[in-house]
Amino acid sequence: MLLDYDRLGWLRVALVGFTAAVAAFLLLPVVFIVLLSFGSSRWLAFPPPGWTLKWYQQLLDDPTWIDAALTSARIAAMAAILAVVIGLFASFSLVRGEFRGRQVLRGLLLTPMVLPVVVFAIAIYAFFLRIGLAGTTVGFVIAHTILALPFAIIPITAALEGFDKSIEDAAIVCGASPLQARLRITLPSIRIGIFSAAIFSFLASWDEVVVAIFMASPTLQTLPVKIWGSLRADLSPVVAAASSLLVGLTLCLMIVTALLRRKLSR
Amino acid sequence: MTRSFLSIRAVRKTFGAFVAVHDVTIDVPKGEFLTFLGPSGSGKSTTLYAIAGFQDPSSGDVLLEDRSLLSVPSHKRNIGMVFQRYTLFPHLSVAENVAFPLRVRRRPDAEVKRKVADMLALVRLENFADRHPGALSGGQQQRVALARALAYDPPILLMDEPLSALDKKLRQEIQAEIRRIHRETGVTILYVTHDQEEALHLSDRIALFREGRIEQIGTGEDLYLRPASEFVAGFIGNSNFLAAEHLETAGGAATIRLADGSIVKGVKTTQAFDRGQKARLMVRPEAFRLTPGPASAELAVEFIDAAFFGDRRRVVMRTAGGEELDVRPTSDAAEPHGPDSGRRIFFDPAVAFLFPA
Amino acid sequence: MQGSFFRRSSAAGLPAGSGSALPALLLVGLFFIVPVVALLLRSVTDPEPGLQNYAALFGSGTYVRVFLNTFLVASVVTAVTILVAFPVAWMLAIMPPAMGSVVFGIIILSMWTNLLTRTYAWMVLLQRTGVINRALMGLGVIHEPLPLINNLAGVTIGMVYIMLPFMILPLVGTLRAIDPMTLRAAALCGASPFEAFRRILLPLSLPGIAAGGLMIFVMSLGYFVTPALLGGTSNMMLAEMITQTVQSLLNWGLGSAAAFVLLVVTMALYAIQLRLVGAKHAGGGI
Repeated sequence: MLLDYDRLGWLRVALVGFTAAVAAFLLLPVVFIVLLSFGSSRWLAFPPPGWTLKWYQQLLDDPTWIDAALTSARIAAMAAILAVVIGLFASFSLVRGEFRGRQVLRGLLLTPMVLPVVVFAIAIYAFFLRIGLAGTTVGFVIAHTILALPFAIIPITAALEGFDKSIEDAAIVCGASPLQARLRITLPSIRIGIFSAAIFSFLASWDEVVVAIFMASPTLQTLPVKIWGSLRADLSPVVAAASSLLVGLTLCLMIVTALLRRKLSR
Repeated sequence: MTRSFLSIRAVRKTFGAFVAVHDVTIDVPKGEFLTFLGPSGSGKSTTLYAIAGFQDPSSGDVLLEDRSLLSVPSHKRNIGMVFQRYTLFPHLSVAENVAFPLRVRRRPDAEVKRKVADMLALVRLENFADRHPGALSGGQQQRVALARALAYDPPILLMDEPLSALDKKLRQEIQAEIRRIHRETGVTILYVTHDQEEALHLSDRIALFREGRIEQIGTGEDLYLRPASEFVAGFIGNSNFLAAEHLETAGGAATIRLADGSIVKGVKTTQAFDRGQKARLMVRPEAFRLTPGPASAELAVEFIDAAFFGDRRRVVMRTAGGEELDVRPTSDAAEPHGPDSGRRIFFDPAVAFLFPA
Repeated sequence: MQGSFFRRSSAAGLPAGSGSALPALLLVGLFFIVPVVALLLRSVTDPEPGLQNYAALFGSGTYVRVFLNTFLVASVVTAVTILVAFPVAWMLAIMPPAMGSVVFGIIILSMWTNLLTRTYAWMVLLQRTGVINRALMGLGVIHEPLPLINNLAGVTIGMVYIMLPFMILPLVGTLRAIDPMTLRAAALCGASPFEAFRRILLPLSLPGIAAGGLMIFVMSLGYFVTPALLGGTSNMMLAEMITQTVQSLLNWGLGSAAAFVLLVVTMALYAIQLRLVGAKHAGGGI
């Protein structure tokens, strides 16, 4: 009866109320930051004395914000592509391979997700200082690809495990070469997994702060580093404007994901 | 009126515009084994759930010894239940599962221990006390569920298709167990199934459900030998239906004309017919004879096929009107051999029933 | 035999089907394993060979306090997250899908929103003159603004906010896997809702709670951004200390030693989590 929604009685009122409160708690900062970005108070008073777009104006007039956003997008796109391609190859091996230590390999490739980022950040920073990649785009992309790799491997292996391999074999029996069968049968079948992998690994790089703080140079900083710097300096409303744009981007991404998933799963 | 033990009074359950149960009324005496039989979606499980308290009826009442159960939450109804799927608690051992209802009732340890031992003996699983449900077969799990449901001596035991997940051999084995346990404990059992053989085998009485209503309630013999409708006749046992025309009825015995023009007298019926009304005559496969007996009607048939089942023989025949007949003659006469169009078969009109078409 | 994308790997003398994992292995080996091992070596070689960095780490009250505080914050965050997440996951598991999908949407939105954005919002919300304090004072609940930021309360609120989706989503799966009939059976056996919860629902969801809780504890131990922005100097956590030691103090030896301690604790707990849920479902947050 505890798992029958319509037989919970007063308990349901309490639990639904609690759930609604938690949902409100989860929504609060997101909504708040968007409202705040339109408020006219330099000191972030809320409710604001008036409404304005001047923080957006300041944001868009400042080339360092635009640069940071473009740098982030460039690095995240490259890291996502690399992570998905490398992750796709690795997934075939992890799901279909028949060798000892397959689980160990899987654990190893997923470790970057579990190890505290700060440990990896100082390790890769020290390493790149030595080999001269610190503060370079290449260094950024390598570090973020490593962090994004688990986020690519998990959905792709999940999709691949759910794909019935006998369909691929049937294609081969029909005369397709193994490579053709993979490209024309298997990849389209696991496209939802690949698509999730792309989104997750893009976000893993796009939102990454800790490695970026170490890797950033005065000439190369990502959006999170720019925000981080502003937060440490002062709580300027310009950050609220930037954050609101990020919230908007998240919403777009969610909608696109939902639509694409619906379309792809047809 | 006799005071009944469990009384289901005009219970009705609607889901939106759909009426799942139409005003079902049943009185169950103490110690009875009553089966709710019917096809899926006929309202039998919904009625059982109303008694268990999983669903509130839209109207009507359920009384146990004249007290309404409806305002009593499930956990205070003191009813035992065995479910279709095994609902054993997977994190508890067999003994702990059986002890569960006693623990929540805060019975003393010694009593719990004794009762668990008794119950496991009752279902013959003494040696499995420390196993976990995952390590048991389906049949064993269902026996543990039975022990758990009986551990607190509930006056009523509900069973919701408890054997449907088991294979045929196990089903028969557990049916025997259930009969024995009913005999030994004297508990009142309400049993839901869609399997008519199971119902006939187990029950004192059967309530046959159809589209949310009780079509007929009575002993297995009542339903088999005196079906109240064509649906009952068709659902219980095997039956053949022949097109007929009603001529007249006198004292529960009707005279009819079959499709081949022959007149049959003395057919049983409980319904009123007009002269010339279209009707259907039901004859059980085993009511056919291959040789004429006293007071028998006859049919011209064509032999189609025969199959041997060890204890009986099944013959398929076709009437002149093209109706296929399932015939299971008791081995009293010459066997039919090969196609033979001139053959006749015979039946006693007193065991044939007439229903409206 | 058909493990690799192109098949063929066994011809190269590699274990069957391992070939297509090579790029990933190379990448992780060269740019993950090598740097991390080099860092760990640095903790016993920088500035000179020996264990003096570890002696400094465990010998100083300041650093020991950072360790204790890290464990304290991670424990509090884990406990609060479990307590808040369980009822929500419970409802999400059984609520009508139309209602549930709204809550799921909010959870995903919150989870996908930039980490700094969320933390920034809490900084503004929780400050002395922030909305929360003003609202509480307006309602007459308090007369003085509560110190909600740069202390344990601030870190807890901010971290619980971030961790909640990682607890709720896997727990919904755990709870959905429990047959509702089992709870009906418990009720008919005479168990009151409280008894059914205590003896059946809670024990059956315990594996999910333990796995999720451990994951959150591990994530909290190494968390950097939120504690650095919402916590105070008096309750600094390990990740922030490591960053400061390396970035501001340029003391690579000591920072590496602290990083090694964090790594060992994290990996040990991760191993326990793998035991609990099986390697397949590790990191079930996404």
